[in-house]
Amino acid sequence: MDFSQFNEADTQRMQQLLERNQMRDFMRLYSGLVQRCFDSCVTDFTSKTMSTKEEGCVSRCTDKFMKHAERVGQRFAEQNSALMEEQSKK
Amino acid sequence: MSFTGMFGRGGKVGLSAQESQANFMMAEQEIEMVTDLFNRVSDSCLKKCIPDTYLEPDLNKGESVCLDRCVAKFFEVNKQVGAKLQDISAQNQASQQSRGGLF
Repeated sequence: MDFSQFNEADTQRMQQLLERNQMRDFMRLYSGLVQRCFDSCVTDFTSKTMSTKEEGCVSRCTDKFMKHAERVGQRFAEQNSALMEEQSKK
Repeated sequence: MSFTGMFGRGGKVGLSAQESQANFMMAEQEIEMVTDLFNRVSDSCLKKCIPDTYLEPDLNKGESVCLDRCVAKFFEVNKQVGAKLQDISAQNQASQQSRGGLF
């Protein structure tokens, strides 16, 4: 992000905004992940505790989701900068 | 709201408070838009590419390639819909103007 057009106070404000957004996005990621992994891994309610199978599934689900987010993030950055470049040409 | 810009303390000298406020709001809106787009791409491509049987913790080849293509295609659709909407609104405007000319 280019903050060169901002003065000191606005740069600070922008920083605060980014931090707030980061927190919000993290909470969103977290709750989405819980939802997804719960829905796909936990289907058996004959016991109150998680089975080894369920725990393994949740662990794999979390790992995989993080890798998914990372990869989508990379491709997104590429596509988005290509789009920006195209728009700035117009 | 800050008025430090008016006195040229840091940042560009001569940028009025209103201008810097407008800049700020534009930047804020852009961040919101990009974040929202990312979240939507991420959700869609997760649903379409990652089956919810978690047999392995890694993305396999097929899933990886699917994600790459999914992101690219999402942007394509984004572009196509945008262009189409622009066409439609241009047409609407043109027809409104021509009607306005007739009556």
